[in-house]
Amino acid sequence: MRGISVKGSSLWSEVSSSRYFGVLVGLVGLILLLSLTQPTFLTVANWQEIARSQSVAWLLALGSTYVILTVGIDLSIASQVAVAGMAFGLTLNAGVNIWLALLVALASGLLMGFVNGYFIGIARISFFVVTLATLSIYQSIALLSTNAQTISLFTNESFLRMSDLINGLVGPVPIVFVFVVVLYVLGAFVLGRTRFGRSVYAVGSNVEAARLSGIPTRWIYVSVYTISGLTCGLASLVAVGRLSAASPIADPNLTLAIVAAVLIGGVAFTGGDGKLFGTFLGVLFLGLIQNGISLVGISSFWQGLVSGLILLVAVGLGVLRDHEWVRRLSSRRLPRSIDESADDILLKEAT
Amino acid sequence: MDNFGSELFTARDITKTYPGVVALSGVDVQVHTGEIRALVGENGSGKSTLAKVLYGGTVPERGEVVFSGEPLEFGSPARSLRRGIVAISQELSLSPELTVTENVLMGQLPTRLGAVDWRRAHERTYEALSDLGLSIEPRARVGELSIELQQGVEICRALSRDASLIILDEATSSLSKHAADLLLSRVVERAAQGTSILLITHRMGEVREIAHTATILRDGHLIRTAPLDQVSDDDILQMMVGREVRNIYGTRGRNIGEVILRLEDFGAQDGSFLPLSLELRSGEIVGVAGLVGCGKSELALAVAGAIPVEGSVTVEGEVVELGEVRRAIKSGIAMVPEERKRQGLLPARDVLENVSLPWKSVGVSAGIVDRRSQEVVARELGDRLNLKARSLASNIYTLSGGNQQKVLLARWLPLAPRVLVLVEPTRGVDVGAKHAIYEIIRELANDGIAILLISSELPEVLGMSDRILVMFEGRITASLDGESATEQNVAEWVLGRGVA
Repeated sequence: MRGISVKGSSLWSEVSSSRYFGVLVGLVGLILLLSLTQPTFLTVANWQEIARSQSVAWLLALGSTYVILTVGIDLSIASQVAVAGMAFGLTLNAGVNIWLALLVALASGLLMGFVNGYFIGIARISFFVVTLATLSIYQSIALLSTNAQTISLFTNESFLRMSDLINGLVGPVPIVFVFVVVLYVLGAFVLGRTRFGRSVYAVGSNVEAARLSGIPTRWIYVSVYTISGLTCGLASLVAVGRLSAASPIADPNLTLAIVAAVLIGGVAFTGGDGKLFGTFLGVLFLGLIQNGISLVGISSFWQGLVSGLILLVAVGLGVLRDHEWVRRLSSRRLPRSIDESADDILLKEAT
Repeated sequence: MDNFGSELFTARDITKTYPGVVALSGVDVQVHTGEIRALVGENGSGKSTLAKVLYGGTVPERGEVVFSGEPLEFGSPARSLRRGIVAISQELSLSPELTVTENVLMGQLPTRLGAVDWRRAHERTYEALSDLGLSIEPRARVGELSIELQQGVEICRALSRDASLIILDEATSSLSKHAADLLLSRVVERAAQGTSILLITHRMGEVREIAHTATILRDGHLIRTAPLDQVSDDDILQMMVGREVRNIYGTRGRNIGEVILRLEDFGAQDGSFLPLSLELRSGEIVGVAGLVGCGKSELALAVAGAIPVEGSVTVEGEVVELGEVRRAIKSGIAMVPEERKRQGLLPARDVLENVSLPWKSVGVSAGIVDRRSQEVVARELGDRLNLKARSLASNIYTLSGGNQQKVLLARWLPLAPRVLVLVEPTRGVDVGAKHAIYEIIRELANDGIAILLISSELPEVLGMSDRILVMFEGRITASLDGESATEQNVAEWVLGRGVA
């Protein structure tokens, strides 16, 4: 045949066939609904609040996307956030330089992630077992560090400067949101444009094929959990900065909400497929639901029910997409003549 | 066809389309009881789809099947099974967590006083398996068996069922010649007892050996149905591909050079093959034949660094660190694995990512991938291998089996390997793609690459190899000259009956 075309698709067809198309449509619908019914929804202050309140989730979901792409889940992220926060608070209150305290928080996240990754990638224990174990181990460490006391940082001079920075604005945009966007651009670049990112997809798609192609699969596992740990460290700083206190108690709902956001964003539960942009939208979507519920003024107890249903619908639609009857429906929409050359017949187009 | 019994089923006007492809277009087929009907055609010709329609794997848009006088309801494998349609396909449908016995006798376990009579069940399974020449422990969990043995279990299960139609869809593709022969002789017995057989295979030899009639499909159209004594192999091939086909293996190269790969006392740590020594020369194609379980698959993995080994390996005099795929690749050893889906392809990823999987430095600088320049390399490879794909951004599963196989081969070429290990390089690939793959292998050998061709298809080994090694029970038992070896001779060695 006469060579292979590189890419004949427009931006629209790329977006509409992407895995995050569903959540994108949902977002547009939700934004329309809330703008029409809630007068305060489209105010700058409201969006600043959304951006700020979701920043921790965005950071954690970034790391979790890497993990889920390799067919894993990091169940210990909430505990890691607690430990890293305590590490920051304790070192800062011990009177050391704030930059050093920041480094200690990030390093503790890196270390905890690396420990997860080591047991999963090198010792080959199931991710579920390892992160379930470290979920409770890290939680205990956080509680033991101050005997379950919250560390208040209201009175710490150098912290207040940092807190001002974290809660500050660039023009109308919260600084933390700028920070999140920068990290997502970086994270997406690493996933999409580097050999390492390709390897993450390869390991998630078919680890045996990746191994036989010389990809250091064990270290890819170590790396993604370490990245997850690093994002936990970053998230802990944002959380402490917002609350002006470091709490040793991990929020048990946080981990599941993050996993839900990543899946709603179209990352495949079976690994190897999905984009960081989808994760960004997934977090935003759950954030808007939270925001909508508080604007409408109904009980926040509804939130879990709504996001659970959305998760079912979102992932369910993804599963349906691969089902025979949907393919049959779309085949009716794409009639093609029988008399095509054998060459083209070989090219079974997937939908 | 008066020598067969009454009509078993008639399929009329079967039409099935997939997005962008017409898999079957108005196909009519009629099969009689006791008839062995071969369905032949290239990949994508619609033969598997026709089988699927019958065993309930898919629903056609148009057409009807009258089976034993009553219309067949489509789309339910369970219902087709109740009507007596049993299928053995390439895709395994076993429960890996259950034992061999539980799989084979699923739904028909013998009972005593209301409880399962396990001893009798295991005995029956053991007998059924040895009937097929398989020695498999009935108490073993299926998931622990090799893929070949799993295929054996799958076949055994199907044959132990009551059936009026048995569909064999490439059922022998992962079996050795010996195991395939045993299976086929059982099938012939069943046909003699009145069961009809639908045989789908790429192996012309099998069609000739057992089938009475052949239906030839091309691009979803019925080309012809004829008794096999009225058509020659060349006729059939011509009808399949719509053009004339000549010797597909090409001519042997003349320039075999210095030793590239040297294995010394090279054995698998798990004993799947015993320490052996072997030299591979530049431009040489060395074929390895042997039964399932003779250790040839493990030899391939071992050379590629994928399983723990002992002994020594050198490539062009340089020692290769053992048991590390990365080291082997770095030393110039590349392998195209046996199981395309499980060991080779990245599902859900596009053609480019599949081709570029092992490219550490092709189109990569400082760890950053330059997709553009990788695309340029990939397109050159595509032209060279005559790869048919809509675009490099298409999902790899949109390609036909033959083109997927070309991708697995193509991915190594930019790394300029010195040694290429090919395991079953044409398994489940249609005639056209086979031809193309053989051509590429020849070309690569002429470029000075040393090639180890491991295959269960004797004609392929005979047609391609400069030297043929036969493995039997973990040892190399014979080394034969490729030009003068005969199928008979190699087969004797393969079965462990060869005489030096």
